[in-house]
This record gives sequence, structure tokens and C-alpha cells, in this order.
Amino acid sequence: MAVSASQSPDGRVYLWPLLPHQGDLAISHIVQIKSEVRDAAAVNAACKRLGLAPPVNGQHKLFTSSAAGLGIKLPGWTYPVVCDLSTGQVAFDNYVGRWGEQSKLDALLQMYAVEKAKIEARKKGYTVSEQFLASGEIKLTIHVSGGAA
Amino acid sequence: MSKTIEVIVAPDGKVTVQTKGFAGTGCKAASEALEKALGLKQSEQLTAEFFSQPITHQQATEGRA
Repeated sequence: MAVSASQSPDGRVYLWPLLPHQGDLAISHIVQIKSEVRDAAAVNAACKRLGLAPPVNGQHKLFTSSAAGLGIKLPGWTYPVVCDLSTGQVAFDNYVGRWGEQSKLDALLQMYAVEKAKIEARKKGYTVSEQFLASGEIKLTIHVSGGAA
Repeated sequence: MSKTIEVIVAPDGKVTVQTKGFAGTGCKAASEALEKALGLKQSEQLTAEFFSQPITHQQATEGRA
């Protein structure tokens, strides 16, 4: 690496790299994703981690309507939330919060995404570490070995 | 620098995926399957960075007679 030298009045010599950086150019790639619930194993794992009963596959009543898929009973919710794995959508009726807190559903969706990411990373043989942040976010660090570079 | 994919899951389930330590555009290939498995891509951003390695300031003291 090319360097330039400078000498201070006390006689010490400093060597500086000519470029403002050292190392290779890297591309940071940031993607925002809206979760879709399509994996039964990840739904099961999320329910287990949140201490919920295992999801039940079938037709589920939601007040006046009904929905087919994996039904999950959330704490304090009158009706189940129903995950249609073919569309990735979650059907529910909590009557704008009166029949169930939105935060319980949000927690399920967060844990689903965490478990799904872990499943996908492990499929590729990557190691994963998990960290709960003060902001309420969950951070997964996936260590890629031998990936495309 | 090691290659990592960082996944941040917000309390409402929204996901941000960021690759770190990949040279060139290999980062996109590395995380593509994961992104597709998680759901619908809403936005994407590519930023050129440099690996931050600490620069050692080498010091030499001139010999004084």
C-alpha cells in the first residue's frame, strides 16, 4: 500500500496511507420486507416460543364469517387468528381491539418472522445468533460461510 | 471482514434484511432466498461502503546522536 510520510517537530515520523480507506469495496444491501405467513413449521415454532397452544388446521369461525387455515388462539382474544399458508395472509376479527389486543397478534407475527428466518438460514448451513433489542426489535445475525462474494 | 446477513424484526413483524461484508453485488445473491421466504419486498437500497479496518499509524523515531 502506498503511504506518505510526515515528520513532527520532535523528530517522530508518521506514515499515512494515501487513500482515505483501507480494504475492499463492499456493497451494503438493505431490503424492507412485509411478512407473509406461509410456513407451518415456523408458525408452530412461534406458538411454542410464545407459550400458545399449537395451531389447529381447519375451518375457523370469526364472529359472523369464517376462515380456513391454521387457527391460533391468542391470549385474551375472543376469536382465533387464521393463517392461510397459500396466500400468506392472516384473517382475524378483533373488533378494532375490543375482542383482542393488536399487540398479541403483532408479537405472533414478529416471532413467526424470526423463526422463519432461522429455518431458512439453517437450511443453507449458516449459523444464527439472536438478540432482543431494547426497542422491542429482535435482531438475528446470520454468519455466512462460503457464500457468494 | 466476515460475511453476515442481519435480520431485524420489528415488534409488528416488519422485517429489514441487511447484508454486510460482501464484496461487489454478491450480497444480493446471498440474501435473495431468505428475502423471498420471508414475504414481499417493499424497498431495496444498495450502498457502497468500505470495509472499516483500523489503520495502524506506524511510528518511527529517528535516532538521535
